[in-house]
Amino acid sequence: MNEVLAWLLFFFILIALLVMIVFQLMCLADLEFDYINPYDSASRINKVVLPEFITQGVLCFLFLVTGHWFMSLLCVPYLYYNVKLYNQRQHLVDVTEIFNLLNWEKKERLFKLGYIILLLFMCLFWMIYNALEDDGHSI
Amino acid sequence: MGTENPNPRNYPLRPAATPFASPQSSTPFASQQSSMPFASQRSSTPFLSSGPVVGSEAPVFRPGPPAASNFQAPPFSGRPLVGTEAPAFRPPPSSRPSEVVRPPPPPSSGGPPTSGFQSFPNPPMPSAGQVPPPHISLTGRPVIAPPTRPPPGPASIFSQPQPPLVSMGSPPQSLKTGQPNPNIPPPADQHFSAPRPSSQPSSPPTGTSYAAGRGIYPGYANMQPNSVSQDPPMQPASFQLQQGGYGPPLQSASFPLQQGGYAPRAPPTSLLAQQRGYAPIPPVSTPSGIYPGNQFQQHGIAPPVAAQQGLAEDFSSLSLGSIPGSFDAGLDITALPRPLDGDVEPKSFSDMYQMNCKSRFLRLTTSGIPNSQSLASRWHLPIGTVVCPLAETPPGEEVPIVNFATGIIRCRRCRTYVNPYVTFTDNGRKWRCNICSLLNDVPSDYFAQVDASGRRVDLDQRPELIKGSVEFIAPAEYMVRPPMPPLYFFLIDVSISAVKSGMLEVMAQTIRSCLDNLPGSTRTQICFITYDSTIHFYNMKSSLPQPQMMVISDLDDVFVPLPDDLLVNLSESRSVVEAFLDSLPSMFQENMNVESAFGPALKAAFLVMSQLGGKLLIFQNTLPSLGAGHLKLRGDDIRIYGTDKEHTIRLPEDSFYKQMAADFTKYQIAVNVYAFSDKYTDIASLGTLAKYTGGQVYYYPNFQASIHKDKLKHELSRDLTRETAWEAVMRIRCGKGVRFTSYHGNFMLRSTDLLALPAVDCDKAYAAQLSLEETLLTTPTVYFQVALLYTSSSGERRIRVHTAAAPVVADLGEMYRLADTGAMISLLSRLAIEKTLSSKLEEARNAIQHRIVKALREYRNLYAVQHRLSGRMIYPESLKFLPLYGLALCKSLPLRGGYSDVQLDERSAAAYTMMALPVKSLLELLYPNLVRVDEYLVKVSLLHSCFLCWSMIWYVSYLLPMSPQTEEFDIKKRLPLTVESLDTRGLYIFDDGFRFVVWFGKALSPDITKNLVGEYFATDFSKVSLSQRDNYLSRKIMEILNQYRKSDPSYFQLCHLVRQGDQPREGFFLLTSLVEDQTGGANGYADWMSLLYRQVQQNA
Repeated sequence: MNEVLAWLLFFFILIALLVMIVFQLMCLADLEFDYINPYDSASRINKVVLPEFITQGVLCFLFLVTGHWFMSLLCVPYLYYNVKLYNQRQHLVDVTEIFNLLNWEKKERLFKLGYIILLLFMCLFWMIYNALEDDGHSI
Repeated sequence: MGTENPNPRNYPLRPAATPFASPQSSTPFASQQSSMPFASQRSSTPFLSSGPVVGSEAPVFRPGPPAASNFQAPPFSGRPLVGTEAPAFRPPPSSRPSEVVRPPPPPSSGGPPTSGFQSFPNPPMPSAGQVPPPHISLTGRPVIAPPTRPPPGPASIFSQPQPPLVSMGSPPQSLKTGQPNPNIPPPADQHFSAPRPSSQPSSPPTGTSYAAGRGIYPGYANMQPNSVSQDPPMQPASFQLQQGGYGPPLQSASFPLQQGGYAPRAPPTSLLAQQRGYAPIPPVSTPSGIYPGNQFQQHGIAPPVAAQQGLAEDFSSLSLGSIPGSFDAGLDITALPRPLDGDVEPKSFSDMYQMNCKSRFLRLTTSGIPNSQSLASRWHLPIGTVVCPLAETPPGEEVPIVNFATGIIRCRRCRTYVNPYVTFTDNGRKWRCNICSLLNDVPSDYFAQVDASGRRVDLDQRPELIKGSVEFIAPAEYMVRPPMPPLYFFLIDVSISAVKSGMLEVMAQTIRSCLDNLPGSTRTQICFITYDSTIHFYNMKSSLPQPQMMVISDLDDVFVPLPDDLLVNLSESRSVVEAFLDSLPSMFQENMNVESAFGPALKAAFLVMSQLGGKLLIFQNTLPSLGAGHLKLRGDDIRIYGTDKEHTIRLPEDSFYKQMAADFTKYQIAVNVYAFSDKYTDIASLGTLAKYTGGQVYYYPNFQASIHKDKLKHELSRDLTRETAWEAVMRIRCGKGVRFTSYHGNFMLRSTDLLALPAVDCDKAYAAQLSLEETLLTTPTVYFQVALLYTSSSGERRIRVHTAAAPVVADLGEMYRLADTGAMISLLSRLAIEKTLSSKLEEARNAIQHRIVKALREYRNLYAVQHRLSGRMIYPESLKFLPLYGLALCKSLPLRGGYSDVQLDERSAAAYTMMALPVKSLLELLYPNLVRVDEYLVKVSLLHSCFLCWSMIWYVSYLLPMSPQTEEFDIKKRLPLTVESLDTRGLYIFDDGFRFVVWFGKALSPDITKNLVGEYFATDFSKVSLSQRDNYLSRKIMEILNQYRKSDPSYFQLCHLVRQGDQPREGFFLLTSLVEDQTGGANGYADWMSLLYRQVQQNA
């Protein structure tokens, strides 16, 4: 049962990550179509960048402590990338250059999105698998 | 002619190959014949109407795209040809004019055109030709030329062999030769068919025949030789033939470039020769071009001049030894192209579209927009534009101001402003937008009848419908807030170095002297803040007799005392402001503070200014050391060069600066940074403020009032008094299918295509790159419209609109032909500088080199096949200076060498400056003026002394026809930038627009030196400045220097004196700036060309 709860937790964390990334993508798209100005767009994006990084780090850590080393390993490249960005102080969107970097920022976030969705499916799979297994046991 | 073969296709380059072969022999003739047609056409082309071109059609063109259809390039008037044809025309250049003359021919077609021919025919022939003008020439050949003859037909052609062609034997050369032989001209006729040409000549077939002939010939001819021919073809033939053929045609001049090589005549020479050769006016040919009618005819035979020209125009070539390792021998240094005339704007473009805005406002890197993505991808140089929206206009060419009472006429869909290229339909009730083709209603108060030709009857009273540049008065809907007053905010560092260097005093004096000339008259607002380790505010309320100073020492939480009295109206508080400026230097006389709380002071300034916006002038003397935004010494790290982190030292260290810059732009504040330190001040960080706010950076390393006073004075007053546009935004619109994808310069993007420019003036230019959105452009013309919405100093909201049209072309050769070196280099330099911000200097330099190599290689592939070009480097005439400017760019301050070559601060400052520089100034900076003045001085002083002796004057004026008073020094007599230009007996002035270097040769007559520098004659020049002395020579040289200064007042050139052999001073000031020499590991011009040549050959 614990397993299922743990996967459920991971699932919600992943959903949270997903939401943050989609939010950033929306800000970028709005910017591209001129619905908001670069100042607002950048400040909105920058507000969620750190939460996103932290959430992802926590997720990775939780996978590890709950013994799901494979999932944890899957998270590591993502985490490494985030840490690298942070250390280079490039994690925040640069308002002044935002238009020149727009394509790259979008690409980066789309890639992250794909990554998160992949994890999400694996998470779902394990959750259901565990739930069924629990069922089996209980029967 | 018109008819020519309708084969409009222009494209056909291909054929070429074949052409040779066959052509050769035939060519000559063919060309001639064909030439005629062409010629005519071409000639005509030049003119707008150019009807000639294709016979009838031509006329059509003019502006419109109309007829064009056939040609791709319709736009051009005559030129249509664009693609293929293009070559033929060479329009642009002078040639046209000449041609003009002939225009008429059309009908006869044959006749006139001939002129072109000259070549062969020329000489000899004249007789024939002349007569019946056109016909004649043609005649001969005409004979029937079987029209058709398939190009290939060559074989037959050969047959002709004979006479003229003789040379033909060897095809290529033959061509040329052939011409010489000209005599024979006749041959042509046959071309194919019969070999014999010669005969014909006489018989000029009549007009008709001509026609026919032409038609026919063309066929052949066209094929081969002349590309000219009407046929679309340009193809191959063109070049070849041309070359051979004629030489000279009119144009010769045009080619000039070619290094010299005229040689025209030499008959036999190989093509190569010709290529360079062209021109040669020599023989015969020449005349023709110019003189219209007659001559041509005479030549009758003459090959199609046009064709030749075409060729010539097509490319220039440079002989480089073909044997590896031996190129030195093959490269004639003096023959290398040099931009000694400064910036030459391509004329053809503006001639084509006369309603375009002037090139000082907008320049395209190539005026031929590729019609497909595949074509664009073969063009390895950037496609884009350099815009200088507020460029200074000479008197008489001011931009007209238009005031629409009821709203500005704009397209409903794309928001394009009404411009000369819109068309009125439905009897004037509707107008079609030239950019998006939407049909808009004409408002009733703007309605005017349209006459039969589609012109509005009130055209004369509507400057916006005739001029490419206009200024609209914007109504209230273009304002987000009431127009702001001009606002000048001074943020002044008063730490010890500012006082010691004398900067404070010079600055205060300058500002005081400019108070009367600040734009905005009574609306102007002004404010001062000074800082060292604390921030000092000044209450300048008009009711106070003296300014009150308030000191804030809490740097972590800056607040503004008396927010309402800091920023005051200049005219009301004038006396307080003057009192402040008078006392400023003395106030801080005793200041021993070495700290600089720059960041907090900047925040304070922001707080005061954010209500209104305006211009913030920062005078910074040391590295910011306290509070937010304090910086570290990081520029001295030699180890970082050559590593992956190298670029980080050219980027702002602290995100504080970028954030501040973004906030400044948001609130319409433009920042100009004046930096004076002798030590590292991190211009890379400080300059960020200017970069994103549309400002600029002035850097005076090691400022000493005694030396740099004039420079600071001039530049600060210009900054304060030049006409400035406030709170501006700029957008460049362009037609369907193309899109601006990136912008380069000092500004910040507010949305994908909107440039936010808190302040703009005439010294700022912006560049943008285009890309094709659609795989195929179907429109014949692409329109560009630059719109700058701004508040003028007088408080009016205005929109300055520049409109330009450019043809869409389907042929790479045409793109090269329409290229503009100045705009290209401007864009390339911006790209290169941006590259240094993300990678190593070395990589940025390599990127430039690669681009040039790729472009030249593509160009070579275009033509090499048809010509025997081994051992020669070919490049388009329009881009002949590209390699040299590319080299100069690699040696410019921002890109030069490595750690030890240029101080980091200087590098950054130069980079920020070059990002904003208009094309002309940039070219001058890259390839500075070098002139010799001693000969002139001696001559004038001699005259002068004689002049004093009244008795002598008659004699003098007899000897030297100019009197001293009237003789003007010709500042255009520029020398190549190499040590070899420097004669030890000479006195030289070097001017790059930012400084003068006066170089004294070792063996220069001591008299001159004494006269110029007086008692400092024998001392070290580093402390001597050139000032006017009471003698004639000194006055004269100052006159020359002032002449230079006046020609570009945007910066002040400080004069540095350098004695030959006075190292390291000489090396520092002059030798490293001689871009053609090998300096510090960088290539010399000759080596650079061989290097490019070798790389072009690789994988070719």
